[in-house]
Amino acid sequence: MQLSAASTAANVRQRLGAAACLLLAGSLPAAAQAPAPPAWQLEATGLLYGEQARARVVEPMGRVTRLYANGRALSLGLAVDAVTGASPTGALPSSQVQTTTGASGRTTTTTTSSSILPTHTFEDLRTAVDLGWVEPLGTMLSVTTSAHYSREQDYASLGGGLKSSVELPGRRITLTLGGGYNRDRVFPSGGTPMGLAPDSDPRTPGDNPKEVTTGLVGLSHVVSRRWLLGVTASESREQGYLTDPYKVVSLVDPATQLPVAQVTEKRPATRTRDDVLGSSVYHLDHDILYVNYRYYWDDWGVRSHTLDLKLRHVLGVASWVQPHVRVYGQAPAWFFVYGLTHGPPLPEFASADERLGPLRTTTFGGTYGFHVPGSRGEFTLRAELLYQWLVGHPPQPDEAASGGGGGDDNLRRAIAAGDNGTDDGRHLGTRIGTLLIGYAVPF
Amino acid sequence: MTSRRRTWLAALILASIVFPGCATVHPWDRDLLAKKSMRLVPLPHELAADDHIYFSKEGSAGGMDAAGGGCGCN
Repeated sequence: MQLSAASTAANVRQRLGAAACLLLAGSLPAAAQAPAPPAWQLEATGLLYGEQARARVVEPMGRVTRLYANGRALSLGLAVDAVTGASPTGALPSSQVQTTTGASGRTTTTTTSSSILPTHTFEDLRTAVDLGWVEPLGTMLSVTTSAHYSREQDYASLGGGLKSSVELPGRRITLTLGGGYNRDRVFPSGGTPMGLAPDSDPRTPGDNPKEVTTGLVGLSHVVSRRWLLGVTASESREQGYLTDPYKVVSLVDPATQLPVAQVTEKRPATRTRDDVLGSSVYHLDHDILYVNYRYYWDDWGVRSHTLDLKLRHVLGVASWVQPHVRVYGQAPAWFFVYGLTHGPPLPEFASADERLGPLRTTTFGGTYGFHVPGSRGEFTLRAELLYQWLVGHPPQPDEAASGGGGGDDNLRRAIAAGDNGTDDGRHLGTRIGTLLIGYAVPF
Repeated sequence: MTSRRRTWLAALILASIVFPGCATVHPWDRDLLAKKSMRLVPLPHELAADDHIYFSKEGSAGGMDAAGGGCGCN
């Protein structure tokens, strides 16, 4: 029995040894022939953006990343924004000639209809460059350092950020901490207006500083084989020149409710913004569902809810399609007005910028992604339609004609809500179309 | 309640929702999670474009980036 047992053990050892040799013999050539891991990554994107009867943007972006074997990565990003078109001045519609200073210098806007929002034309070219460096510290911790600079006709931004991520034991939870600092300069075309003063008043030449400090904390959690959850909270503090130098506020005659003059807008010099973002990625049998919800609030009184849903449906080994819906709603800043009453003393701050108003945005669209046969690169093509409006009911034609009926507030709100009056005199929101073409390839 | 306290309270509430259990996910169970499409941000270039669009058209900002800003569009 002992001889037999020893013989069996020796036999097993021989078979294991032979199996190991076969594995090595089979794997070594394969390893030798395996393609080297990619050392570079290229991402190129082109964005076409168009607002109905307003601004047009063409923005090519590119990013090259050098990937090192030890997990380090160095990236360089470049972007150019070419912007042309028109932007609302903030003034209420009027049949009178209104003069405002736009981003391209002094322009005169003549409004011939009391149902169309005054706009001024502008054009700008923004160039931006950023650098990023990822440094792994051990197997559980990585630190990302970034810096950026951007410049446009009347604005320059220089900033940097630091973000660190650590995987907790078990690799189910990743904790992220980050911070950033921007030192920006605002130098409006034609000088800086006084704020809540006639637009024709002398302007102050020179730069206005603006600082932005941001902190971020995030957690992501692998809930199951199919489910990844994340939560991120951030706070940013802005101080300096936060006013839009090209926006004005109409002064409305209290008797007729018609705009009779206008002053430049003025906002507080500090702003603290907070937000919490919850994210979920869930792998269904074939599809992937992405859900994001963000709650935002700041000390200007803006509160917003954003819900973002995407569903990626795999069409085959090389392509997929991803419908997208986004819904956004915000409460206005405490100093937002549609217009100010002409005569009484003006408030300390006031803005008629619709981006600080009771704004709603819906987005519908979809992305199509595909690989070209024989290539490791992936193309994405996205088309989306945005619709933006201020909360309020359009005035009925008889109300608009009489300037009353549904109330002056309704009338002003509806006037401020849109620039595309339809044939029946109603005012709708703003339609925006975007087309995004992307290509990412490792090489 | 200050805005800072509200931030942390909201983060705490969401974190308690995010971390409901302690079920184990073994390394060999991470086949789906290993896909690029299973990241919280699967298409970074789309996120960058969206951040730019919505920052310039809405009153809110924030999300996953620590630096942010860098644009005179709002």
